[in-house]
Amino acid sequence: MSGAPLIEVSRPGLQTTVQDAGRQVRALGVPAGGAADPVTRRLANALVGNRAGAAGLEVTLGGPTLLFHAPALVSLCGAPFVAELDGAPFPLWRAVAVGAGQTLRVGGTPVGARAFLAVRGGLDLPEVFGSRSTDLRGAFGGLEGRALRTGDRLRYGAAPPVTPRQAFIAPALHTPLGPEQTLRVTGTSDLTAGLGAALLERPFTVGAQVDRMGARLQEAVAAPHDPARASVPNVPGMVQLPPDGRPILLLPDAGTHGGYPTPLVVIRADLPRLGQLRPGDRVTFRPVPLAEARAALWAQERALRQAESALRAWSGWAGGGPLPYARGDAD
Amino acid sequence: MSGVDVEASFTWLGDSALVVGTPHARALLDELRARPLPGVQEVVPALHLLTLLFDPLQSDGATLEAGVRARLLALRQPDPADGAARTLVVPVRFGGPGGPDLGWCAARAGLDAAAFVQALCRTPLEVAFLGFTPGFAFLTGLPPELRMPRLDAPRERVPAGSVALGGPWAGVYPRGTPGGWRIVGVTDLNLFDLSRPEPVPWRAGDRVRLEAVAGRPGQGRP
Repeated sequence: MSGAPLIEVSRPGLQTTVQDAGRQVRALGVPAGGAADPVTRRLANALVGNRAGAAGLEVTLGGPTLLFHAPALVSLCGAPFVAELDGAPFPLWRAVAVGAGQTLRVGGTPVGARAFLAVRGGLDLPEVFGSRSTDLRGAFGGLEGRALRTGDRLRYGAAPPVTPRQAFIAPALHTPLGPEQTLRVTGTSDLTAGLGAALLERPFTVGAQVDRMGARLQEAVAAPHDPARASVPNVPGMVQLPPDGRPILLLPDAGTHGGYPTPLVVIRADLPRLGQLRPGDRVTFRPVPLAEARAALWAQERALRQAESALRAWSGWAGGGPLPYARGDAD
Repeated sequence: MSGVDVEASFTWLGDSALVVGTPHARALLDELRARPLPGVQEVVPALHLLTLLFDPLQSDGATLEAGVRARLLALRQPDPADGAARTLVVPVRFGGPGGPDLGWCAARAGLDAAAFVQALCRTPLEVAFLGFTPGFAFLTGLPPELRMPRLDAPRERVPAGSVALGGPWAGVYPRGTPGGWRIVGVTDLNLFDLSRPEPVPWRAGDRVRLEAVAGRPGQGRP
């Protein structure tokens, strides 16, 4: 017997939140939000036939246990979390049919930090400023503006049932994971020769303070300090340098404006890697010209679009018209 | 109707943001909202500054810079008769437990509390830009004698509705957050209410006036 399209949270995991493509209302002081690894979010949604911006669950370090009250088609992509469906191994990077009454248990991951669980039809929650993403600090969006708790119930959109295909995502498309990361950056007008020498081409260690707002690095550099500096808008991937000299990599929930120097910005193609950093990882900033940043993004985008359109074509579910709870084909 | 002075600075911020510095940031923001440039995803204001966040797959900084220059050239001289800016009145209970720093601020300004409040309420303020937390507005317009230095160490929690002064700015904390500004009063005005069609009541460019309500300074919350 099948119940309502509900997922019941048996165990919430370390920090599981509803995320989608995020918001675009920084002008009102509202952070961007959205899945910290957007490439993984797109691929997970593509596997189950969702639009790229459909809302799903972002899993962090320790995953949740979820009881499905009705059949669902789900995919789990991202860091190699250990996952089981009713005790049997649950494969990542695939669309998997889950039956009513089955339990998906997501454990931990040895590398990386996050995975995205997409459900065909998308999670059905009200939009706040055009997005269903959870803003933990502002306590709005997602499910009551907070991480999942035991007993929560999540409804997902009705979509015509399909048989999962044997498609899987080529590893070349996965967001690179591991304890050593090279992040490509461009310099800003705050980048002096001294700061460049201190920040570039040497490893920094990701400290214990890593959340959706930012990742604090451990090693300090001599930071310029100007108390009269005006607050200016932040952009994704900024490397902020507070007076104590320990750089902060800004993630999607970072505040909209900041008053500290920001000598470097991680290029857009490497932003998904920021969402996979965990304490102890080491990052090295490598400066690249804008042309290289652009070429890297185009290469990534071409491969993503190819995968997305291939999945759409194979699935045969594109004929059913646009799916609910999704906007836009890409970001 | 002559074009405005197009003196502007352009700086890059990574591969998907362009910062435009211009004294006409406000008018340019209105123009870019009314007629968005292709590929621009967000335009975020700060003081005399606009940051354009764009999709590098759809545009590039050089194209955008040319587009912004053309828009600046076409901007009309702001006409005072246009008067599009709204005025928002913020009712404030000054002093008391809701405004613990009022006495300190008044003393620093060389006034008694009542005169300080009067001076503050007479000052026309303007929303320079929003940021920090959802709905927080940086209010500009304080004369030098009413500007207050920030606290040496921020308070761990400033209650929602606190009206505060920090450096050149005045502001109202929409929610309980840490904060380093001097708190002079409290308002019941809800500055971030998702149940309203417009959750945030003010926007860059709006005029703001503080109004003393419910008792004299020092009385605080009834």
